[in-house]
Amino acid sequence: MPAHRLDALRSIVAAYPSALVGYSGGVDSALLAVVLRQALRRERMVAAIGRSASYPAEQYRVARQVAEQFDVPVLELDTDEMNDPRYAANPANRCYFCKSELWGKLVPVAASRDFHTVVDGTNADDVGGHRPGMQAAREHAVASPLAEVGLTKEEIRRRSRALGLPTWQQPASPCLSSRLPYGTSVTPERLGLVERAERAVRDLGVTGDMRVRYHDDVARVELAPAELTSWLEPVRAESLRAAVSAAGFPRVAIDLRGFRSGSLNVLHGVTPA
Amino acid sequence: MSMFASRGQTDERRRADQLAAALSGMGVPCKVEPRAALAVLMVESGVAQRLADGELRRAALALAREQGFTHLAVELAPPAAGADAPLPRP
Repeated sequence: MPAHRLDALRSIVAAYPSALVGYSGGVDSALLAVVLRQALRRERMVAAIGRSASYPAEQYRVARQVAEQFDVPVLELDTDEMNDPRYAANPANRCYFCKSELWGKLVPVAASRDFHTVVDGTNADDVGGHRPGMQAAREHAVASPLAEVGLTKEEIRRRSRALGLPTWQQPASPCLSSRLPYGTSVTPERLGLVERAERAVRDLGVTGDMRVRYHDDVARVELAPAELTSWLEPVRAESLRAAVSAAGFPRVAIDLRGFRSGSLNVLHGVTPA
Repeated sequence: MSMFASRGQTDERRRADQLAAALSGMGVPCKVEPRAALAVLMVESGVAQRLADGELRRAALALAREQGFTHLAVELAPPAAGADAPLPRP
């Protein structure tokens, strides 16, 4: 893997007079926040967390942990996408409305505090996929330096590990609304149900990529292919069923293909199978 | 409108029944509940475990795709009532 991509990233961000990074504590934005902090003085950067019901509590915990470990200043604000009916209706471009809300709040905050540049953690793999949120970022002139230098998810994980970030092997964790099929309205209750169910599955010892997809009364659990087989064994299957059921889903099913990023995009024909 | 919806549901039901028949033929007796492009398999206790076999699982996924389902999941049924009840003493 060429080292020059991280060097290129450092060169780019070091040239920012100051910067605000949209920060979730995910693999991508964590690396970007740390690189920014290493390149800029503390008062010249801030990592901004937008909090709402769609932001997993566990992700928030990791975000704060990384910030503390690397002395990254954090700014928190609440976002209100749940009260936007265009978002709550859960169309295929739902992420556009979420990111419009996020950047619509963060960009003015950055301006008011003299942060010259606003950046996000979009990486090179994200470019070209179904990412309606990227349009909102463009409309608000948000830069994506990870993508700009061609850093892929895999490279970001390796660089994160080398820098000592705890996020290097963290499973990707997009917002909770991504567990609801398009057209199923987004409510705090449904997001809470999904979050409780996923926490229950993690508590059973599942460490790899995993999602609990909401299908009304049915929870469809997607497990990493390496873990899938063992959870079909009767005793473990029953513990999984009982855990997800206790979280509030009347019925529990295991997806037989296993975890797929963007699984519900395939279900709705937004992206090919 | 409702006629089209009804026609769609009939087609979905037909594809689900064909998938159930095909899966039963390969040793996975089940009912299939169609939910648009998702097929949920409802099986008797112990049958889900058979799908731990990678070859069988891949074959099941292929059959589901043939019937137009992009996603296939097996429901985990709760234990039958009394399944873990203590054995009666003689």
